[in-house]
Amino acid sequence: MTTSQSASDDHEFVITRIINAPRALVFKAWTDPKQMAQWWGPKGFTNPVCEMDVRPGGAHRIVMRGPDGTDYPIKGIYREIVKPERLVMTLDCSEHPEAWHDMVKPNRKKGERNPVGEMLQTVTFEDQGGKTKLTIRTRFISVAIRDAMVKMSMTEGWSQSLERLEALLAK
Amino acid sequence: MSLDHLSTTFAALADPTRRAILARLASGETSVTELAAPFEMTTPAITKHLKVLERAGLITRSRQAQWRPCRLEAKPLHEVADFVEQYRRFWEQSLNRLEDYLRKLQPKGKKNVRKKPARKKP
Repeated sequence: MTTSQSASDDHEFVITRIINAPRALVFKAWTDPKQMAQWWGPKGFTNPVCEMDVRPGGAHRIVMRGPDGTDYPIKGIYREIVKPERLVMTLDCSEHPEAWHDMVKPNRKKGERNPVGEMLQTVTFEDQGGKTKLTIRTRFISVAIRDAMVKMSMTEGWSQSLERLEALLAK
Repeated sequence: MSLDHLSTTFAALADPTRRAILARLASGETSVTELAAPFEMTTPAITKHLKVLERAGLITRSRQAQWRPCRLEAKPLHEVADFVEQYRRFWEQSLNRLEDYLRKLQPKGKKNVRKKPARKKP
């Protein structure tokens, strides 16, 4: 159940979870669009569009629909497929609704692309005695944002320091 | 403002002295001299950090009072925290759903194990 999250030395967001299912099954849930549509996205979300051409250079496209009916399209390209160990893909959230872009990047110019929305995601599937250790690494494609994150992680876990700051602010 | 907002905030937060300054400012407005005191830094060195924080919109400096007090601005911090939180929540919930889905997908093995004793007929 527990998910751990950290900023690794490679300046990425890292999420890991032990899934109680064999690796082949977990890998399939990530590479079969019918299966992916069943679980992708937060609670209460559906995926009316889920298309995947699972091969290097192949495209994927998912449209997540929130409980309020808002659509959050994500598209991207597969960079690497190593069955059943590893998936590398780009994620592009540029078609997300304006409200999302405004939250992530206020003060942006009209029509300006949002570099936060471009990410490289590496998913690894490790067999652990019949269970699967799933690791999701997300790296921002924007050099500016990545550099900033590099600086953050050189000092300490930046999300932790943010949490501490948040706690201070809440006082 | 052509610089990317979020990355500016990240960069400003990257420095431990600047985070300490923000933490100090969380308890209220302060003058530059007061801010410099615990850091064993010269006022110009602290002023440099303040400029970075000001550019990122993390603090404001009053132009009315002569001692130009520094004040913490919480909004950019909340924006960064919101983004991180949104990302964390996305995965927490997606992976919960993935687990639920996989549990439904492979009930055979588990059910058989559980049902075996029940199937035994005298």
